[in-house]
Amino acid sequence: MNIIFSIIREDTFWKILLFIHFLLAVGLLAAVTLQAVAVLMPARQMAGHFIDRSPVPAAGYTALIAIVYVLQALMGAWIYIKYRTYVRIPMEQLRHFWTVGSFELKEHVVTMGMGLLPAYWYFWRQPLSAEHDNVRRWVTVFLALSVWYAFIVGHVANDFRGVGS
Amino acid sequence: MTQTLDAGEGLSQFDSPAARGAPTSTVQTGAKFGTFAITFGIAFALLYTVYERLNWPLFTYHPVLGNLDFGRQPTGVGPPMFWYGWIVLAAASALVVACAATIIPARWLRQATVFCCALAVLWPASLAGLRIFIVDWATFDADFLNSPWVAAIPGFIGTAVITYYFPARLAERLWTSWLLIVPIVGLVVLGSSLLQPWFLR
Repeated sequence: MNIIFSIIREDTFWKILLFIHFLLAVGLLAAVTLQAVAVLMPARQMAGHFIDRSPVPAAGYTALIAIVYVLQALMGAWIYIKYRTYVRIPMEQLRHFWTVGSFELKEHVVTMGMGLLPAYWYFWRQPLSAEHDNVRRWVTVFLALSVWYAFIVGHVANDFRGVGS
Repeated sequence: MTQTLDAGEGLSQFDSPAARGAPTSTVQTGAKFGTFAITFGIAFALLYTVYERLNWPLFTYHPVLGNLDFGRQPTGVGPPMFWYGWIVLAAASALVVACAATIIPARWLRQATVFCCALAVLWPASLAGLRIFIVDWATFDADFLNSPWVAAIPGFIGTAVITYYFPARLAERLWTSWLLIVPIVGLVVLGSSLLQPWFLR
């Protein structure tokens, strides 16, 4: 770390890291939301002998979502060091208790999502098994909700003390 | 989409490795990985909740000093961080549980899952019940009952009874559902523990 800090300022380094975290979050949010919408979309009608397929190839996103989710969790865990000392302490001093509490819950939500990733990947393996249709759908929705929650809470924390705040 | 998937899945069933006459070992490996992944998901969520509630991290990180200490360490210079320690311990324990799940018979695994989930509810519920009894009902000095080990007795007995009478067919059907039930209940427990310190302050 000292080598990095000899090249760029410490706060600039953390802000770059936070910005990359944000960019990856946007990508993950898009992919997991599309997949969740695809599994929740109402059934389409069959027309003649043609089976109407969804425009979203939901299964194709699985590996991407799993990899980016892990990357994001690792980056979040790294940035969390700075958050714990540089952001959370003034947050408590200024009595932003809801923000602190929401962020605490975010840690747990993301962790629970991480634990589901092997099963999520298994359920989306080709060929998709009809037996796991329901659990595949709700695991995907759980992951999508966890990413949305993490994104919103992370954004609020960033507004308190982060990039552009 | 659901119907589309169903239709695709219906066709793909015939195109599955088993149907194509793929080697039995490939199918078995896939099934074993499924058992591993599902058990890991259930065990990780359950153990993470338990470790967080009991505050049992594998290690403590001190961000100000950059030190890593084994186990739970008190506040030194700056705040201690336990989150990494809970995750690593939960992941390591869940890994062991998931590996063990791949070698035990499926029926035992389903029953063991019911047992663990019931125990995770009944043990703390027994402790809470004993504490209520001590404060509101006891007419004698019942402080000796305020122990997790005393609460373990009714907890284990209740769990054993539930597991014994739990229909095997229901345990079979519920098994993948635990994958969602456990994290959601875990989040409710963890979230409610945050109410007092942060949300109701």
